[in-house]
Amino acid sequence: MNSELKSDPFTITIIKNALKSISEEMFSTTARSAQSPIIYDVLDFSTCITDSQGNVISQATGIPLFIGVFDYTVKGIIDHYKNENIEPGDIIITNDPYISGTHLNDVALIAPIFYKDTIVAYAASKGHWLDIGGMSFGSWGPGRSEIFQEGLFIPPCKLYKANKLNLDVVKILKSNSRLPNILIGDMEAQIAGLRIANTRILRLIDKYGLASFFTSIEKILNDGKYIANRRLNEIPNGLYEAVDYLDEEDENGHKIKIHAQIKITENEFIVDFTNNPNQLPFSMNTTYPATVAAVRVVYMSIIDPHIVFNQGIVSPLKVIAPRGTIFNAIKPAPVSVYWESLTYAADLVWKAVAPVVKEKITAGHFLSVVAEIIAGINNKNNEPFALVEPNPGGWGAGIDKDGESALVSFADGETYASSVEILERRYPIMVERYCLNIEDGVGHGKYRGGFGIIKDYRILNDVTELTTDINRSIVPPWGIEGGENGTGNYIVIIRNGKEILRTRKISSFKLLRNDIVSIRTGGGGGWGNPFLRDPKMVLEDVKNGFIDIKTAKEKYLVIINPTMMEIDWKETDMLRNKFQL
Amino acid sequence: MPTRVAIDVGGTFTDLCALNEDTGEFVFVKDLTTPSNFAIGVLGVLKKSGIKGEEIDRFIGTGSTMVINSLTERKGAKVLLVTTKGFRDVLEIQRSNRTDLYNFRYQKPIPFVPRRYRIEVEERIDYSGNILKPLNKEDVLKAIEFCKRERFESVAIAFFNSYANPAHEIECYNLFKKALPNMPITLSHELTREWREYERTNTAVMNAFVQPKVQQYIETLEKGLRDFGVKTPLHIMQSNGGVSTFEQALRAPIYQVESGPIGGVIGSATIGKALGLKNIITLDVGGTTAKTSLIFDGKLRINTDYSIGKTQFFPGYPVKVPVVDIVEIGNGGGSIAWIDEVGSLRVGPVSAGADPGPACYNRGGDKPTLTDAFVITGVLNPDYFLGGEIKLNKELAYRAYSSLSEIMGKSVEEVALGAIRLATANMINAVKLISVRRGFDPRDFTLIAFGGAGPMFATAIAKDLLIKKVIVPRVPGVFSAWGMLMTDVKHDYVQTKVMRLNLDSLKELYNIINEMKEMAMKQLESEYINKNDMYFEAYFDIRYLGQEHTVSTEVPIKNPDRKVLKIIENRFHRLHYKQYTFKLNDPLEVVNVRLSAYGKVRKPQISTFKPKEKSFGVNYRKVILEDGMYNAKVLRRDEIQYDETILGPAIIEEPTATTVVRNNELAYIDKFGNLIIEVK
Repeated sequence: MNSELKSDPFTITIIKNALKSISEEMFSTTARSAQSPIIYDVLDFSTCITDSQGNVISQATGIPLFIGVFDYTVKGIIDHYKNENIEPGDIIITNDPYISGTHLNDVALIAPIFYKDTIVAYAASKGHWLDIGGMSFGSWGPGRSEIFQEGLFIPPCKLYKANKLNLDVVKILKSNSRLPNILIGDMEAQIAGLRIANTRILRLIDKYGLASFFTSIEKILNDGKYIANRRLNEIPNGLYEAVDYLDEEDENGHKIKIHAQIKITENEFIVDFTNNPNQLPFSMNTTYPATVAAVRVVYMSIIDPHIVFNQGIVSPLKVIAPRGTIFNAIKPAPVSVYWESLTYAADLVWKAVAPVVKEKITAGHFLSVVAEIIAGINNKNNEPFALVEPNPGGWGAGIDKDGESALVSFADGETYASSVEILERRYPIMVERYCLNIEDGVGHGKYRGGFGIIKDYRILNDVTELTTDINRSIVPPWGIEGGENGTGNYIVIIRNGKEILRTRKISSFKLLRNDIVSIRTGGGGGWGNPFLRDPKMVLEDVKNGFIDIKTAKEKYLVIINPTMMEIDWKETDMLRNKFQL
Repeated sequence: MPTRVAIDVGGTFTDLCALNEDTGEFVFVKDLTTPSNFAIGVLGVLKKSGIKGEEIDRFIGTGSTMVINSLTERKGAKVLLVTTKGFRDVLEIQRSNRTDLYNFRYQKPIPFVPRRYRIEVEERIDYSGNILKPLNKEDVLKAIEFCKRERFESVAIAFFNSYANPAHEIECYNLFKKALPNMPITLSHELTREWREYERTNTAVMNAFVQPKVQQYIETLEKGLRDFGVKTPLHIMQSNGGVSTFEQALRAPIYQVESGPIGGVIGSATIGKALGLKNIITLDVGGTTAKTSLIFDGKLRINTDYSIGKTQFFPGYPVKVPVVDIVEIGNGGGSIAWIDEVGSLRVGPVSAGADPGPACYNRGGDKPTLTDAFVITGVLNPDYFLGGEIKLNKELAYRAYSSLSEIMGKSVEEVALGAIRLATANMINAVKLISVRRGFDPRDFTLIAFGGAGPMFATAIAKDLLIKKVIVPRVPGVFSAWGMLMTDVKHDYVQTKVMRLNLDSLKELYNIINEMKEMAMKQLESEYINKNDMYFEAYFDIRYLGQEHTVSTEVPIKNPDRKVLKIIENRFHRLHYKQYTFKLNDPLEVVNVRLSAYGKVRKPQISTFKPKEKSFGVNYRKVILEDGMYNAKVLRRDEIQYDETILGPAIIEEPTATTVVRNNELAYIDKFGNLIIEVK
């Protein structure tokens, strides 16, 4: 084959597509061979190829947040080993959150890819390991004050040295986990993904030559940058700001204030988190890479949600966050529930830019992952059980659409809520209802927010405990352009028909047989003044039972005849004219 | 003169394939599809074929285009959903996943039944099937009143945990049937007895939605066929790789949803059987898409997690019906080449379709398509397309590619070849999805290529995946319809039954198999299938205790003893290892019991092939292939003799397709007339 044919633009495109499909094949290989459902079902992992500098070339992920972390991870490794050799056949392991973002459960494995004796790329994989030690089963949770309580801390070290497994490292890993066999299974699944990348990339280079391979990588990064800059040009330059409050209070009993400033220029998108609270002695902190990840998710949604992620695309983005604050926590701040704090970082950016990217974004959503743990000893077989699940809630309205109901938080992606039929069989729980949360309502507006859910679990067991850590419970999702704010997330415990507790954060609460745990997620924020909502849409909402006739009148100034179920246009016009702004 | 007839209703064309069972002679007829009433087109093409009604001893039709159209255009019945108190929003909550990760304006699938048409009734059954609360008849009567008042056209009944005990669904059905005898009613447990409330409810709702339309089509068609003199049983293709009677199709029209592309897969399995090949990858490239499927150990692979309209950014609508596993991408002969935002050449998924079609058709199309690229590179003979029926215009093909050529600064030939290479790479990726990603090594497979464009791509794909042998069957352009003629009657049964696998539970599980088998035999008998022609396959979906994913494991249908248990366990461990690359020592748990019941239909002998005498002989023309320009041999397919071996590069022409034999590849024909290519 002549060399001219090899480096033509079509070959470059073929290599580009192949690199994308290699990271996907790494992903499916890992999913296929993993042993814990958090990897193969929840898809709480990601695989990626970077160039020899650690720039992300292609990535596959089940959870959006992982798009922020690989460049920091690989660059961190390169930096760590700058005075030592990385050899062919090495695999480096780390879960240092301050280098690689997220929490100790997410373990990164990185393999250099050598062509002859040069590193031409890195393959990397990061996955949630079920248990990495720490103070309670599963490692993560509220109630920690230092990272040392959150599991085994693995600094970058060589799991494989020149194709030879370092058994000492494996021994340490195994003896620190409550589930040592599953840990090893998942580790091997990640390694299988790395090996696939190595084989496929070398074959690609053998087939098309090293020059074409490098040209393709260069083109991927340049194309990413080119597209990002073009999209950025469509957004008005300016300085944008947002302020919000956590549900937490400071020592004086004031809600904790958080803040972000965004500067958009022709070729820059700068997010500044200066002036935010110092890191907290409980899990309401994120490390810098995780904060960047959160910002990147919002940035992607604004720039173009359907372009394939790579380092070039985020080249205009800069994130400033002073060390030691909640958005750039340093050791030993606890970070195991990092997703609950980074959602606030993302939401601030979202809220700040919403007025200038109206057609790309929606009003505030229920934000929290609303994860709960219901655990105990099953009376039927005396075996321990633990139901751990995220819950869906209401999303905000768009400029031309109502918000989506019952959708997982922005921090989750291809994450499936459990089928409640399966849940009933697996746990000593009966599901009394699983419906939209009409009672608490939504943020009304010209377009209204989507509804959260109500899920009532009746406990059919003697020894059961509830743990949860929910946010956006007190300070609700925000509305926009006159749209109302949404509603909060919380959990209610009902005993003998009476509400005995309404909470957002609780650890190991003792439940009795026949108690009902009612999980309620909030409705999204509205968009625009509700008086401007098309009366026909108001009628539809009444007919569908989303709002009642009284709300139609009070919030929307629409009069509906209850017997005919029709709009009384005359009355409605009169009422609306009276309130015309 | 008994004749077997298959008619495939596609989006554009309605194809007829008929086989004279005495002479082994085939007839092919094509006509336009009639979307306003599909039955008219079917009867039209039948009349055009010249076949008489009384000659037809078996009729096989399709309804998938109509089901898909009805769902995608959302033109169907006004459906009332009756469901358990506390769960009417299940259809709207769905599984709550955000498939489109970075799109904050993502929109979930809109339910096919709006909230106000979802009525709750009081009743409750637990996961073991115990009745906790009886069905409240007052509530049902209210629902019936509502149904009358609001003039619903179809009813779906889906209760919580009905997979474990369908008693309440049946009771509710009886009340409805009494009050509204002519109302079409779908019961969720009749379509699937698998757990997962959203998926089962949605399956019922979508079935109810398409039912009245399909009913109208099938009844019109049946009447038309009877009037035409057809006396034998009438069959319709299903997504599971089998056919069912018209009567059964009326009850569960959703079973037809993905039946369109299956004929070719069945045809491939039939050829594989004749040639003793058990592992086959199929490649079907038509005008707008390329489809690939995998046959392992002689069996079609079934996907039980199918969603209608699923894409990278949209979860689609789950329907719990077994569907032959097919990967489809938007690259076919009519796919248009274009340049994206960053200056790279791309192909598809937009297609020029049949009208106006590729530029070279000279029917007003001016977009550069893959067909045009094959004309430019000399692979397609402009004077022999559809045997010369359509003259292809090479100049128009060049003109269509000229602007791409200018933008890219490359010659027209280079760009055309680039488009072919990109499409080939896309298809290689699709074949990897159906094989490598599911734990199969393509090297263990033979590639069978068909569809008008499949044989042009086949060996390039095989070479990349190290597949050693490619087979191009006779008349590859209408191979799908040929495959339909070979399809057996098939019915699937499933029951979720979660039990640890041991000798005690095995008895209970086998009782379920036996019950299903009895049901299936009754069903098949009603379809005039002889006992001797019935055969059954039973499967357990098994997993390691505590794991979520299951592996469908075939179980022997015999007395469940210790030996059988051992066989099942060993098979499971082996299959699990193949699919997931690990084994565990944990106890096994059964989740679902499945039964596939078949009614064998007489397979016509694949007639041996008699080559024509050489009249065209061997010509030569300039052809540009991936690895350079060649003066390639050109042959006519039907003139290739048994003792003839063709060394590539060569182009083998026939009316419905063109086969490319690449440099150093060897091609020859077998006794059935299949073209075999050995790939180096």
